[in-house]
Amino acid sequence: MDNLAVRTEGLTKIYRDFWRRKSTLALTNLNLSIERGEIFGLLGPNGSGKTTTVKLLLGLLFPTSGKSWLLGYPSSDLKIKSKIGFLPEESYLYKFLNAEEILDFYGKLFGIPRKERRGRIDKLIYDVGLWPHRKRPLSQYSKGMLRRIGLAQSMINNPELILLDEPTSGLDPIGSYEIKNLILEFKKQGKTVVLSSHLLADVQNICNRIAILSKGILQVTGSVQELLSQKDVIQFLVRNLSLNDIQAVENLIKNKNGSVLSIGHPSSTLEELFVKTIQNQS
Amino acid sequence: MFTILLTIASHTFREAIRKKILHVLIGLGILIMAVVSIVPTADGPDARIKIMLVVFFQVVVVLCMVGIILLSATSLPHEIEDRTIYGILSKPISRLKVIAGKILGFTLVSAFVLVILSFLNIVAVLRITTQLPGKCQDILKARNECKVSEFSIQGKAHHISEGIVWIEGGRTGIAVWNFSDVYKKPGSKFSLEAEFHVKIESSGDFINTIPLAVRIENAVSGQGKTEVLSGKADEPFNVKIDPDIVQDNSAITITVFPVHRTDYIGVTPGDVRVFSVQKGFVSNYTKAVFITFLKFFLIVVIAVMGSTYLSAPVNILSSLIVFLCGHVLDFIKDFSFLIQNHDLHGHSSQAVSREPNIFLIYLDSAMEKVLEWFSVILPDFKRYDSLQFLLKGINIPLETVEISLGYTALYAGICLIISSILFKKREFF
Ligand SMILES: Nc1ncnc2c1ncn2[C@@H]1O[C@H](COP(=O)(O)OP(=O)(O)O)[C@@H](O)[C@H]1O
Ligand SMILES: [Mg+2]
Repeated sequence: MDNLAVRTEGLTKIYRDFWRRKSTLALTNLNLSIERGEIFGLLGPNGSGKTTTVKLLLGLLFPTSGKSWLLGYPSSDLKIKSKIGFLPEESYLYKFLNAEEILDFYGKLFGIPRKERRGRIDKLIYDVGLWPHRKRPLSQYSKGMLRRIGLAQSMINNPELILLDEPTSGLDPIGSYEIKNLILEFKKQGKTVVLSSHLLADVQNICNRIAILSKGILQVTGSVQELLSQKDVIQFLVRNLSLNDIQAVENLIKNKNGSVLSIGHPSSTLEELFVKTIQNQS
Repeated sequence: MFTILLTIASHTFREAIRKKILHVLIGLGILIMAVVSIVPTADGPDARIKIMLVVFFQVVVVLCMVGIILLSATSLPHEIEDRTIYGILSKPISRLKVIAGKILGFTLVSAFVLVILSFLNIVAVLRITTQLPGKCQDILKARNECKVSEFSIQGKAHHISEGIVWIEGGRTGIAVWNFSDVYKKPGSKFSLEAEFHVKIESSGDFINTIPLAVRIENAVSGQGKTEVLSGKADEPFNVKIDPDIVQDNSAITITVFPVHRTDYIGVTPGDVRVFSVQKGFVSNYTKAVFITFLKFFLIVVIAVMGSTYLSAPVNILSSLIVFLCGHVLDFIKDFSFLIQNHDLHGHSSQAVSREPNIFLIYLDSAMEKVLEWFSVILPDFKRYDSLQFLLKGINIPLETVEISLGYTALYAGICLIISSILFKKREFF
C-alpha cells in the first residue's frame, strides 16, 4: 500500500443542493490505484466526475462514502499536502499579484525557506516561459499565460505527487506541447503525475496508464499500450523502398495468407506538423 | 506556525492596498477632518476641539468601521466564489489558520488606518490648542477622580424628593462631602480641582445665579478657606484646590450652602467631584484609540465569522445589523423589559376587563425571549465608548482598558471557535 501514490476505495460523491432535495450522483464507488512514478490519465467527457475526484483527493470536498489515500496517508491528513502539487481546472489566481509574487505567496504557505523559494521561483518562471513577463500583474495575462503560471505554482513545493486538472485546457498547441514536455520531465525526476483531460491526444502520448470515467463510473483502467494495441494487426515502418519492391512485399504477404489492410505513408499528427512549422520559423 | 498567519495576513493587507481600499478610507478620513477643522463653529473657543474629537470618533471612525466590515465580510466569500481559496486550502494549512490569518490581516488594516488618522487628528487638535487662550486648554487634561468617602447634611434638610436633598440657604443646613484619599501619587506634578453639579432653586429674585458659600478644608486640621461663588442653574463649575490644604493625611472636606435664605440647593452624594489634574491628554487619547482599536478587532472577528458560512451580500447585511444592534443594546434590553412589564399588567388588573388574547400574550413572550437572547448574544459595543472620557477630560482608568481587553478577547475567542467549526464543515465546489 505504501508504494501507491493514490488509492481510493469505494469513493462516492453525491452533490446535494441547500435544501437537500435535488441531488447529483457525481462519482460512484471509485476504486483506483496509482503507482508511484507513473503518469496517470483520468479520462472522460465533460461532467464525468474527473474534477470531483481530484477535489475529493485534496479535501476540498468530502466524500459521501469511501476513502482515499495519498502517498500512503489518508487524504484528510494535512501534512501530506506539503508533498502534493495541484493545478485546478481553471487558473484561479489572484489577479492583483504578478508572477513572482504569487509563487512567493504559495511558497510561503508551504513554509519553504526564503533562499530556496527565491531559487525555485526564478527557475519555474523560466521553465514555463514567463521570464519576460514575471513583473506584470496577472490581470494582464492571457489564458495560456495563466495556465503556465498555474502549472508553475503547482510545482513550487517540489511535490512528489502532482494533480493536474485539465492542464492543457486553454493552451495553444505550442503551449500544450511544452506542458507535455514538462510533465515528461517530472516523470524523469521520479514524480507521480495524475492528469485529467477530455483531450485524448494529450493523454495518449504521455500517459503510462489511464482510467476512463463516464457519468461518475469507472469504465476501464489499464496501461495505454495494452489498451490500444491491436494484437492481431502488425505494422512495418520502412524507409527507401521502391514501388516495385512494395509490390513484391505485398505479394509475399498474400502468398503467406496474410491480408493487407492498408499501404501508404504514415501521417504524423497535426500537432507535430504545427509545432515543427512554428519552431522552424523562429 | 506564526509565519503562516503572517503570510496570509500580509497577503490580505496587500490586497487591501492594491485594490486601493486603504487609500479610499484614509483619504475620506482626511477629507472629513480637514473640513471640520475649517468650518465655523458655534460658541466657545474649545468648541472646535470638541467638534474635532467628536467628528473623529463618531464619524471618521464609524465610517472606517463600515469600510472594514465591507472588506472583511466579503473577503472569504469572494475567495470562495473566485475559487482562489483552492490555492490556499490545498496547502498544508489548517482552516483555523486561514481564518486567523484573515482576521489578523484585517486587524492590521484597521490598525494602519486608525494609527494614521488618529495621529493626524491629535496633531491637528494639539496645533489648534496652542492658538487658544490658556483657560481653554482645560480640555486637554486627563483627570483622575478621587472617590467621595462620605456625604452628610449638617443642620436640617428642607425636604427630600426623588433622592435629592434640598437645603435652604442661610446656614439652616449645610451639605458636607468628605474625601479621604486625595493625594495618590506624591511627587508627580499635578493639581487638584473640585467640580460642583448642585441643583439650584430660589424663591427670591432669581436671575439664574445665586451666591454659594463653598469651604474647602483639611479634614483633620480644619485648615482651609471659604469662598463665595456664583452658582448657575444648569451649569457645573470648577474650583481649584490649594494643594497645601491636602497635607499628609490626604483627607479634605468640602461644605456648601446657599448664602441667602431665599435660595435652595439640591444635592446628592455624587454632586461634588474631586479630580487630580494631569497633563496626560496625549496618553489618554492613546488609550481611547486603543479601545477603539479593540472595537475594530471585534468587528473584524464577527465579520470574518459570518463569512465562513454566509455569502458576501448576506454577510454584509448581517454584519452591519450586528454592528448596529450592538450599539443599541441598552435599547434592546429596555425594550424586552418593557414587554415583560406590559405582560405583568396584562395579567393583573386590566386582564379582567380586557379580552385575553392568547395570541398576543404568546407573541409578547416570544418577542421578549428573542430580545433577551439578542441582548445576551450580541456584542456590547457601548463598552468601547471612550470619547466621553476625552470630552470630559477624565483619565481613562486602566481598569476600563483591561476590562475592554478581556471582553474583546473572550468574545473574539468564542467567535473564533464558532468560525473554525463552521469553516471546517465547508466544501468548496
Ligand atoms: N457544485 C455542484 N453541485 C451539483 N452538481 C455538481 C457540482 N459540481 C459538479 N456537479 C456535477 O457532478 C458531475 C461531475 O462533475 P465534474 O466532476 O466537474 O466533471 P468533469 O470534471 O469530469 O467535467 C456533473 O454531472 C456535474 O454536473
Ligand atoms: Mg472538470
